[in-house]
Amino acid sequence: MTETIDQHQEGKRDVTFRVFRFNPQVDSKPYFDDYTISAERGITVLRSLNYIKEHVDATLSFRAFCQAGICGSCGMRVNGISKLACTSQVWEELDKCREPGIIKVEPLRSLPMIKDLIVDMDPLVDKMKHYSNWIDSTMPLAEMGKKEFLVSEEEFHRYDKATDCILCASCVSECSILRANKEYVSPAVLLKSYRMNVDSRDSIHDVRLAELVKDHGVWDCTHCYRCQESCVKSIPIMEAIHAIREDALECRGPKDTSGAKHAEAFMEDIEKKGKLVEATLPIRTNGMVWTLRNLLPMAVKMIVKRRTPPPPPLVKSAKGIKIFRVMFREMTEHVKQDHQKTHKK
Amino acid sequence: MKPFDIVIVGGGGAGLYAAMEAMKTNPALNIAVLSKVYPNRSHTSAAQGGANAALGNKAKDDTIEMHIFDTIKGSDYLADQDAVEVLCSEAPKIIRELENIGTPWSRLDDNTIAQRPFGGAGRPRCCYCADKTGHTILQTLYEQCLRKGVLFFNEYFALNLSVNGSRSRGLIAMNMKTGKVEAFPAKTVIFATGGYAKMYWNRSSNAAGNSGDGQAIAFRAGIPMKDMEFVQFHPTGLRKSGLLVTEGARGEGGYLINKDGERFMARYAKEKMELGPRDLVSRSIETEILEGRGFNSPAGKYIHLDLRHLGADLIKSRLPQIREMSLNFEGVDPIEEPIPVRPTAHYSMGGIDTDNFGRTVMDGVYAAGECACVSVHGANRLGGNSLLDILVFGRIVGHTAAEEAGKFSPATISEAELKESVDELRNRMQPSGHYERYGALREELGQTLALNVGIFRESSLLHKGIQDIAELKERFKKVRVFDSSDVFNTNLMQVLELQNMLELAETVAVGALAREESRGSHTRIDFPVRDDEKWHKHTLATLVDGKVLPGEKPVTMGRYELQERTY
Ligand SMILES: Cc1cc2nc3c(=O)[nH]c(=O)nc-3n(C[C@H](O)[C@H](O)[C@H](O)COP(=O)(O)OP(=O)(O)OC[C@H]3O[C@@H](n4cnc5c(N)ncnc54)[C@H](O)[C@@H]3O)c2cc1C
Ligand code: SF4
Ligand code: SF4
Ligand code: FES
Repeated sequence: MTETIDQHQEGKRDVTFRVFRFNPQVDSKPYFDDYTISAERGITVLRSLNYIKEHVDATLSFRAFCQAGICGSCGMRVNGISKLACTSQVWEELDKCREPGIIKVEPLRSLPMIKDLIVDMDPLVDKMKHYSNWIDSTMPLAEMGKKEFLVSEEEFHRYDKATDCILCASCVSECSILRANKEYVSPAVLLKSYRMNVDSRDSIHDVRLAELVKDHGVWDCTHCYRCQESCVKSIPIMEAIHAIREDALECRGPKDTSGAKHAEAFMEDIEKKGKLVEATLPIRTNGMVWTLRNLLPMAVKMIVKRRTPPPPPLVKSAKGIKIFRVMFREMTEHVKQDHQKTHKK
Repeated sequence: MKPFDIVIVGGGGAGLYAAMEAMKTNPALNIAVLSKVYPNRSHTSAAQGGANAALGNKAKDDTIEMHIFDTIKGSDYLADQDAVEVLCSEAPKIIRELENIGTPWSRLDDNTIAQRPFGGAGRPRCCYCADKTGHTILQTLYEQCLRKGVLFFNEYFALNLSVNGSRSRGLIAMNMKTGKVEAFPAKTVIFATGGYAKMYWNRSSNAAGNSGDGQAIAFRAGIPMKDMEFVQFHPTGLRKSGLLVTEGARGEGGYLINKDGERFMARYAKEKMELGPRDLVSRSIETEILEGRGFNSPAGKYIHLDLRHLGADLIKSRLPQIREMSLNFEGVDPIEEPIPVRPTAHYSMGGIDTDNFGRTVMDGVYAAGECACVSVHGANRLGGNSLLDILVFGRIVGHTAAEEAGKFSPATISEAELKESVDELRNRMQPSGHYERYGALREELGQTLALNVGIFRESSLLHKGIQDIAELKERFKKVRVFDSSDVFNTNLMQVLELQNMLELAETVAVGALAREESRGSHTRIDFPVRDDEKWHKHTLATLVDGKVLPGEKPVTMGRYELQERTY
């Protein structure tokens, strides 16, 4: 049966929501329910789910609060991608369906299932605690509230974007490492750690960093960029991850960490064979110029830990690799000089 | 469960500040924070504009005194002047304290906290972090609470107070993850559950859970509500959802247009046009709609907010968020089409009656934040004063409860009492004889409130509103909970929220009918002027034998004499 959301406006389209269902009290395993409704232009996935809950099946369970893309409650997978239900347009999703007219809705991955589209957020909170995702102020307690720290606009911009994070866990759900290793720090927590570490008011930078370079920490990241691509607030999460790695190397010396050793091998790879999954991914996502400017200098500092997915055919192109090598050498020189300059200061 | 010294209900700005301060005041205390959503999801995160404090960073000649006066005037002289003095005097300190613990405030050229002008303020004193002030304040407080190891009970839904005579013994709440009803025996309970403006449902800018749970729980326990009739409307909410289109749209030069294509603000505010004060613009839009010059749609009547003449470039560069909202929630691109809007219920000035320390009339029960009415906002809240309110009074209430918890003997909640709550829920979940749909009741409540207890009020409308609410309450007895599962029963939770909204709605309507004058947000067509002689006082609503008993309380005056409020 087709239910109607709203009668007016020019267009309406029939949509089937294929929704993941699981109630641990009665179900031995998850299954999908289909709900077909008629949705007008401008209707969001969340409004549709609300409609289904109110009019068709009140047992359908999901979280929602602000309904305006601010609170981060309604993270779920729509047509396979983790996002906010309240800011996703049904009509747009209709163009992305694998089966025409059927929008698939599933819970976020890598967090324990509770019921239907609801997953447990506690593991994420635990990680925020583990990695001290807070400012431990340099202001003595007795002085609190008496005066402001002076913070430059430039410093503010270092963490401005990172503080946009609403902890919706979309990036967590998309992270490739987390799916294999639940103990991995998580992109959102790396982002938050970065935000704290570049704040001049904070006093525990070293404590946080020491934790970040341990097992399951920053070196486990494969540089796959999926977190950044799926971030609902378009936060450049990878910049934060790069910065933490750079920071780690600078603080502890490049030969000091296991991550750095892998990075060395990885560097050889880039130059000699061009077998570089982690470099081509960002190229595909961000373009060649961006990659050379942003990623390579960092790679030169031997930051990227090598993972072992097979080399993509893309880098076999002889022409491509030539340009790549030339630019790479130039960048290496630049970075060396930069480095010397900063260290002299 | 181990008895607590302090149980805080609510993890928004007010609740988290209270928790931090209570721990600081006495680290030996056993403190818990309960929240029906993860604290960082609380509605505090929605505040974009900022928080007021006379730091004098932007305007060197700004003073606390001026902030006090602006607030009292803004309140239409209904705020208690001693409370306002506390609010404004503590403001600079609390904003700096937040700065000291990591809130990423935007900065001025001299690297101090940035401030901008805000409605009703004589100086630019609204401290902000881009357009995400509430969000960053809430994050900071949550981070600090995690740092200090505050004990959180996340996704616990508070049901009722346990009361023994004039004193509370603690709280009864449901663990959403298991459906289990649990007792939280406590010497003191602090309510910080946020506002009740969501009772206007699709005509509200609030989050779905702003159903006034704390107020309703306190109300059921016999604690009076104060000034409930005062609900602030924002002129431009989206037609379908009530979500806010911020002032920025009109600030950049957007037009308000009726169905005849007129820029109708010319009739109401010739000079300021679309940029008149919030309440005036809200009333003007409502008048257009009531007089038949609005557009019609099944989602309700509305008018147009037209940005098209501003051009694609300006819209994209200066108003990207408004464009996104409009696309996301109305499916309308403001570059090509006008945005359908109408006034939306935005903030609840009324709430649990407290003194300046957050104490209620019941021993051991406190309240702070939007759920409390101290009162610092009186008949009308100034933009940027609400975040300030939750911080200042959140801190005060945390301190007070920590100091006073020692006064009370340890509390216990009996098994029998717990069972009563469980039985009540079981009965509510019985399928037989229950057939009403909660969604329909919720929608109808919103409609009758917007129509009869909305921007324009009048005796016969209010009577109709009160009657409708009574009927809805009757029908609610037959409401059906379709989900019978224990695990994360959001169906049950929404039904309980509806119950709370219904109970409070009556106090709003009754207060509005009683107050035979127009003051601040409360506009009576049949009593169009402020009547200080009869109505310069707070109204109270107390539940006695199942009935709302009206009462009153004097306004605390101070240095500022009553004046006409003109801008
Ligand atoms: C769109 C919008 C914009 C705004 N902009 C501004 C602004 O620019 N400046 C300003 O000063 N103010 C602004 N306000 C107002 C301000 O945001 C709120 O008044 C303030 O954040 C309320 O904070 P609070 O701590 O009292 O409550 P909330 O932040 O609403 O927190 C309530 C808490 O109580 C919990 N709770 C509720 N019921 C229960 C229950 N039954 N059991 C357990 N827990 C429960 C919730 O989980 C939540 O944690 C705005 C409001 C809106 C809607
Ligand atoms: S880039 Fe790193 S953190 Fe981001 S999704 Fe890939 S593995 Fe996870
Ligand atoms: S980083 Fe982006 S996707 Fe990840 S939790 Fe934060 S807002 Fe969500
Ligand atoms: S409901 Fe808050 S982000 Fe979607």
